[in-house]
Amino acid sequence: MLHQKIDPSTNVDRNLCAENVSISIGKTPIVRDVSFEAASGELLAIIGPSGSGKTTLLRALTGELSYEGHAFLSGRELGGMSAEDQAVLRGVLPQISQISFPLTVSEVVALGLLDRRAGRLQRETRISEALAKVGLAGFEGRTYQDLSGGEQQRTQLARVLCQVWDPVPADGQPRWLFLDEPVSSLDIKHQYQIMHLAADYAARGGGVVAVMHDLNLTAEFANKVLVMKCGKQLAYGSNESVMCSGTLTTAYDFQLDLVEVRSGRKLFLHPAPVKI
Amino acid sequence: MRHLFASRALGVLTATALTVAAFVVPSQPLLAEDTDPERSSRIVAVGGSVTEVVFALGEEDRLVARDSTSTYPQEAIDLPDVGYIRALSPEGVMSVDPDLILMLEGSGPQEAVDVLKSSGIAIADVPEGFTAESIVAKVRAIGAALGVPDKAEKLSVQLERDLEAAQVDAASRASDLRVLFILSNRGGRILASGADTAADGIIELAGGTNAISDFSGYKQLSDEAILSAAPDVVLMMDRGGNHGAGADELFAHPALGQTPAGKSGNLIRMGGQYLLGFGPRTADAIRDLSAELSSIQGADRS
Amino acid sequence: MSEATASVPRIASWSGFSQVKLGNREALARAVMLLLGVLLVATMLAGLAIGPISVPVLELVPHLARHIASPVEGAPDGVLLRDWIVVKDIRLPRVVLGALVGAALAVSGAVMQGLFRNPLADPGIVGVSAGAGLGAALFIVLGNTALASVMSLLGIYAVPLAAFVGGLITTLLLYRIGTRGGITSVATLLLAGIALGALTGAMTGLLVYVADDQELRDLQFWGLGSLAGANWEKVASAAPIILVMLFCVPFLSRGLNGLTLGEAAASHIGIRVQRLKNIAILLVAAATGASVAVSGGIGFVGIVVPHLLRLTIGPDHRYLLPASALLGACLLIAADTLSRTIVAPAEMPIGIITAFAGAPFFLWILLRKRGLTGL
Repeated sequence: MLHQKIDPSTNVDRNLCAENVSISIGKTPIVRDVSFEAASGELLAIIGPSGSGKTTLLRALTGELSYEGHAFLSGRELGGMSAEDQAVLRGVLPQISQISFPLTVSEVVALGLLDRRAGRLQRETRISEALAKVGLAGFEGRTYQDLSGGEQQRTQLARVLCQVWDPVPADGQPRWLFLDEPVSSLDIKHQYQIMHLAADYAARGGGVVAVMHDLNLTAEFANKVLVMKCGKQLAYGSNESVMCSGTLTTAYDFQLDLVEVRSGRKLFLHPAPVKI
Repeated sequence: MRHLFASRALGVLTATALTVAAFVVPSQPLLAEDTDPERSSRIVAVGGSVTEVVFALGEEDRLVARDSTSTYPQEAIDLPDVGYIRALSPEGVMSVDPDLILMLEGSGPQEAVDVLKSSGIAIADVPEGFTAESIVAKVRAIGAALGVPDKAEKLSVQLERDLEAAQVDAASRASDLRVLFILSNRGGRILASGADTAADGIIELAGGTNAISDFSGYKQLSDEAILSAAPDVVLMMDRGGNHGAGADELFAHPALGQTPAGKSGNLIRMGGQYLLGFGPRTADAIRDLSAELSSIQGADRS
Repeated sequence: MSEATASVPRIASWSGFSQVKLGNREALARAVMLLLGVLLVATMLAGLAIGPISVPVLELVPHLARHIASPVEGAPDGVLLRDWIVVKDIRLPRVVLGALVGAALAVSGAVMQGLFRNPLADPGIVGVSAGAGLGAALFIVLGNTALASVMSLLGIYAVPLAAFVGGLITTLLLYRIGTRGGITSVATLLLAGIALGALTGAMTGLLVYVADDQELRDLQFWGLGSLAGANWEKVASAAPIILVMLFCVPFLSRGLNGLTLGEAAASHIGIRVQRLKNIAILLVAAATGASVAVSGGIGFVGIVVPHLLRLTIGPDHRYLLPASALLGACLLIAADTLSRTIVAPAEMPIGIITAFAGAPFFLWILLRKRGLTGL
């Protein structure tokens, strides 16, 4: 599975592919030689220990950082696309979301509405729908700064959803969600709610790329998994092939045992210390 | 938010009220014409020496306002003040309803003067200068503008004679002292007068030598410039009547303390308008300054 | 249930920011803008009407309109020359210049705050005005000698253009120093502002040594700012630049709104951040330069006006920018009217009035928002 060779000519216009992508910040190489392919209709999780280059990789894919090698979204080189063109195809949920002025929740979400022809009623309806999806129905008038971290994160997700509302709109081009640790500051109920939302987006034909810390949620929701370690690609492939005790123990330098619970669901646990 | 609305509403109300008030208050009619149509009866004097000359001519009853540098005589202070000579407000000047403005050279800003000229108010420019002749020229210009050339001629002759006598007097006491005029000493920064200034003029008339001659106007002096100027006496304006006070403080200045003036503590203070005004009192100022200089010279010699 | 409670306007416990539904806030913004428009007309009329000389302004307004349509020499029939001059040549240019400068300063403040993502950014506080003042001072002192050919080429636009260049250079430097990786540190920004202010102050001080007496007087004018010298020539030199700025700035609203999310997130929603920053800096420098050139450094309008409006109608730049223009114009005309009347027949520089009102306000924001501004 390691360094799987990808042929970009197959089915490119519906996929996100990276070919030998390397990223440096200043002169320091952060990510080296990463290749993967995520198809629309799938949820790709990027996992790995802190500092392994997950977020850096995502930032290159969202146009924030320049990269060497090739990366294509819907058949177009990402590096050559304008911010406007990228914004049509994919929404990005950032890790930290500080807002500089006291916008209301609905004003934040409205920033994701790119269609300027939409009427006010249409916009308000869409905003309310998006907020309902992330479990924030009725929060429209609240001030963003007054919300808890988790509520802020879900507000941002609602904004991203508004940006790429239909997973496959009339133009036939699938839309993408790029999520950087989407559940990091959420309680367990909302973690599941958001992961279901992402999986549903993929199931309806969109693509999802999520940087994840929670291995069990990854095992439960991801279709494909990319494992990063020290800026390199340690493993890449289907959930079943990557999410195993050996790979993860290597990735994190930490003993992780696989426990099968109820009807094939996986649970990764560090073995309990032996009682004397 | 309620507060803001309230204050905004208040703002609108005030603005409206003021607008209405402006229409209700009738505009003042122009004053009835004087018996002599040529004779201006509502005069604004701009410049301390200009006001002094008007008083010296005995025409002070015709003044309706003065600028903020016109602080002599005492009666002048009771007149409305239209602001600093260099920052006149055209509407302020017009509001005292003048028919003549006597304007010392250097009055401004230019925009204000332009507007005043366009409003049809007569403006008489009074030349400024720092010689005995320039004082006489001022008197003649003001006399002509006021329509009292005879009085002005009489005053001119008297001033000419007086100034000449004062200069002769000063020359007889001939001091060769180097005088440094300090306009201000703020935080050890000495602002001194070079050539082409009123201070330069009065020092020369009083028989002294301006210690600074290599620049014109008022400039800040470096410590080395102070040392090389080597003044025998420091001359300053007298503010708030603390005559002679502050010499210790002044000469604590490291450079100034090393000059002959600093070592002997020679400081003369005189009233600013009196010393630098170049008006009717200048002859007296020359005598006073010259007397001070010669007494210092006498003290230094002995 | 929560829907119903959220639709009721509420005051947040800690910030005092109004919390209403999107639609309500937009409706409020429109209402406030309408109110400000009316207020501007009233303020302009009051500015024409109030002064040391009482003038029948309403009688003169039709004459003025006629005069603008077909200018005639001298006062119209039945109007005192004095009244005509006072309204046409003294108060009207002041009111118009006050409106232009007030709008320019307030909008510049709002744009800079959006750009630096900080409510304390203001051309006056961070040294842009000082830089513009230096540019203007350079031209005033060297315009008759070293730069004489440039001066004669540009005419009345020479000083505003020099001020613009000065402001532009300062803004660019400030942006370089104050932001790192797209994040503006307020502390760095304010400190850089102080440093740049000191530097430009020093350079202006240097000019004092080569300036003659008349030039020195002109230089002093930059210190506190005043509309006292307003005339139609100054209006003509500043108006095109400021009007272009006021016309262009609404096109930045969406970008500035997006920028509240941060530079990265703004680019994720399709905003060309670098282009936005370039245009915003250019417009702010131009408008500040033009304002400083005709009225000197009038402080605090750029910080007070947008802040007051954010408290009322929220931070949405689509409404904030035009409302800032209106309120800035109103405030400056009102302050100028005060400056003309408070010590009449003399006059108080308007900068003293705006500083007296604005400086405590600035401190108040600083205290209240210490957490938010990272100081």
